[in-house]
Amino acid sequence: MESDGQPHAVCCSGCEAVANLILQSGQSRYYQFRTENAIKPSDEDVGVAESWKRYDERHSLWGNPLKNGQYELLLQVEGIRCAACAWLIRSQLEARDGIDQVQVDVATGFVSVNWQPKKLLLSRVASTLAGVGYRPHLPLAGAEAIGRQQERREALKRLGVAGLGMMQVMMFAVGLYAGDAMGISEGPERFLQLISLIVTTPVLLYSGRVFYTSAFRSLSQRRVGMDVPVALAISVAFIMSCINFLNGTGHVYFDSVVMFIFFLSLGRYAELVIRHRNLQTGLALARLLPEWAELILDGRSEQVPATDLKVGDHVRVRAGHTLPADGLVISGSTEADEALLTGESRPVLKNVGDPVIAGSVNRSQTVEVEVTKDPDNSTVSMMGRMLLKSQTQRSRFTRLSERYAGWFVAAVLVVASLTAVWWLIHDTEMLFPATLAVLVISCPCALSLATPAAIASSSRALLEQGVLLTRGEALEYLGNIDTVVFDKTGTLTSGTPSVVETVINPKRNEFDVQGALEIAALLEVDSSHPVSTAFSVVQVSREDVLDIINHENGVEGRVGGIRYRLGNASFTGVNVIDITGGLGRLWLADEAGWIARFDLDDGLRDSANETMNALRAKGLELIILSGDQPQAVASVAERVGIDNWYAEQNPKMKMDFLESLQAGGKCVLMVGDGSNDAPVLSAANISMTVSGASELANSTADFIITGKSLKYIEYTLNLGYTTRTVIRQNLLWALAYNLLAVPFAAAGLIVPWMAALGMSLSSLLVVLNSGRLSKRKLRPKAPLIPRKSIL
Amino acid sequence: MSILYILIPLAVVLLAIAIWALIWAIKNGQFDDLETHGWSVVLDDDQKPPNFDESSEEEDKRDIEQ
Repeated sequence: MESDGQPHAVCCSGCEAVANLILQSGQSRYYQFRTENAIKPSDEDVGVAESWKRYDERHSLWGNPLKNGQYELLLQVEGIRCAACAWLIRSQLEARDGIDQVQVDVATGFVSVNWQPKKLLLSRVASTLAGVGYRPHLPLAGAEAIGRQQERREALKRLGVAGLGMMQVMMFAVGLYAGDAMGISEGPERFLQLISLIVTTPVLLYSGRVFYTSAFRSLSQRRVGMDVPVALAISVAFIMSCINFLNGTGHVYFDSVVMFIFFLSLGRYAELVIRHRNLQTGLALARLLPEWAELILDGRSEQVPATDLKVGDHVRVRAGHTLPADGLVISGSTEADEALLTGESRPVLKNVGDPVIAGSVNRSQTVEVEVTKDPDNSTVSMMGRMLLKSQTQRSRFTRLSERYAGWFVAAVLVVASLTAVWWLIHDTEMLFPATLAVLVISCPCALSLATPAAIASSSRALLEQGVLLTRGEALEYLGNIDTVVFDKTGTLTSGTPSVVETVINPKRNEFDVQGALEIAALLEVDSSHPVSTAFSVVQVSREDVLDIINHENGVEGRVGGIRYRLGNASFTGVNVIDITGGLGRLWLADEAGWIARFDLDDGLRDSANETMNALRAKGLELIILSGDQPQAVASVAERVGIDNWYAEQNPKMKMDFLESLQAGGKCVLMVGDGSNDAPVLSAANISMTVSGASELANSTADFIITGKSLKYIEYTLNLGYTTRTVIRQNLLWALAYNLLAVPFAAAGLIVPWMAALGMSLSSLLVVLNSGRLSKRKLRPKAPLIPRKSIL
Repeated sequence: MSILYILIPLAVVLLAIAIWALIWAIKNGQFDDLETHGWSVVLDDDQKPPNFDESSEEEDKRDIEQ
């Protein structure tokens, strides 16, 4: 979008609309820009309306019927990135007659629409969404999504009940403790205890039930889970409090029970939300494929669901549409954009007989394609299966706390029962308070907070630098990394050609490098050829060039009255055997002979060299795995100083290579960007994607770097090391506290309320220590715009 | 002190109402989206976003995918 005459990048349609609104309200002048830049809706949006027309009469797709002829429709919508998107969608849809209520879940990209089919067609709902830049899909896993929402609501209810109950019981507990200290008559005391009991019982039965079911489940599998002592502690405390209350003697511990339940529920809820956020991968994959295909049968065309295509079918694919299946071109020729699958950003020319793959986008002309593989066996589907497989194997992050949980819990139970036995023999009066104090004080609260608190702080620091952390544990394990594997195109390089070296003909020293570049830039000024972007960084004025003629192998034009040619060696009349390294060479010549030679290559990303040096300095092994040609890979590898590189790797080979690395005991960080990298990203111990990565790649990545610079890799690694240090400090403190306090509790020197307070203070310390992490900044500040790689 | 015997049960009744209200709100999806509604304060109701729907000829030409 534009503001003040300058183009600005926006993350999504929502932000853009909001920015537009702000501009509109601030300055009416904005409209001038607006009309200048008015663009027709892309063909794709029209395509959405067309393809959804077929759903209009299908009642089964309308959603769940509600009362008054309303239906609740769940859509999965592409491109929802922030709250602004949700606002835009809601205000657009709700403005339509026939749509009553719209809910947008930003985290998952699901939109729920309450609408009336009598007043509005389904395709209008879809086209309204598509019109504002969000592509709707019928959710493939709609039932699962609704199930997840239900699960989240249930957890929230349990948390809410526990929270409200805790507030009340704590209030009564203050009265009881004050009574203990200053004296309280029996009537009010028993009354407060009774009320506490009345409030605690539903909290225990409703919010606490999950701990019992989980404890029983783990016991029935003959394991001692984390929930066993939890269930035991709350039951013991509750039952003993009831007995004490009925007997009218001793202390009640209802406050400890509810507090315990509340804090644990809080932790569980946070965990649930994060887990749900990570379940989006399969859906991202499904979006790569179109829902409908145009099947040609006896000369007539017919729309069929893409999943119904069979080998031998002929389909027509129009320009701008996505290919529905793997096949061979049988008529027409076009350029296919396979970037999503191969990571190659330039469209590939496809003639009759050339293979095309499902999920690639037909960029220029309508072609007919013979299907050669069932949709189930297409390249995309295979990739999806590889992805799912590596994700299910992803349990490699057995968390420290989980690994030792069984032992820790067993130890707690042993100590608690020993305490109970000891006091049973020596002083039955102390039996209950001491045992409970042991159970409460050894509550692994600080222990279980140690890691998440540190990760939460770090992820906030990362977010401020534009690095999204999608899986918290990944930070903890960054410290184990000893090998970093890079993809080449689009990861180490920016994916666009740039001039890496300019050589002036020694006999023509009247020209200098800058002058030669300017002439070249002038010749390329109107060109749409990808190579021309290499020269677009040079500022020239359009009027200085005349008579541009485009030839097959170059361009010709007149600058300052002299005719120049820019192109390959034979076109410019240079008599050399051209060696093609990188993206090739261009020669600039006038009628007297060649003037300059430009060596082109994929431009490196910002601070690629510094980052590689920094990573090497950390003792990491660096490897390049690329699907590209050996020469191209070699040239990039040389420029960034990586000796270890592999070219012409397909996704399967990359995967095998990675597995062999891991089998050799390496812990691998994979940095990539294309969908073809997705399986490898997912299989790597830790994965990162860089800016401009495909949605599928992002969905499998642990870290998503939104900045263009590679510097953020180093920053993330450094933060990972610090995070690990802090986690270790936290764990050490929590363990030390437990080891120190448990003997006192067992000796009966700590009463349960002191134990609960100590537990909270210990947790607080852990949280404060972790908070230090969020203040870590990237120094020095990275430039937002990549430096010109020219010269 | 006997006022306690009225006020505390009253608090418990209020608590029950609060819990009922909370559960009702959660069931109605009030907590499903905690991000969007914060924005409604900053965005004026009378200022609709540019309408991109094809129902209007002039608006049709505006596109946001620049």
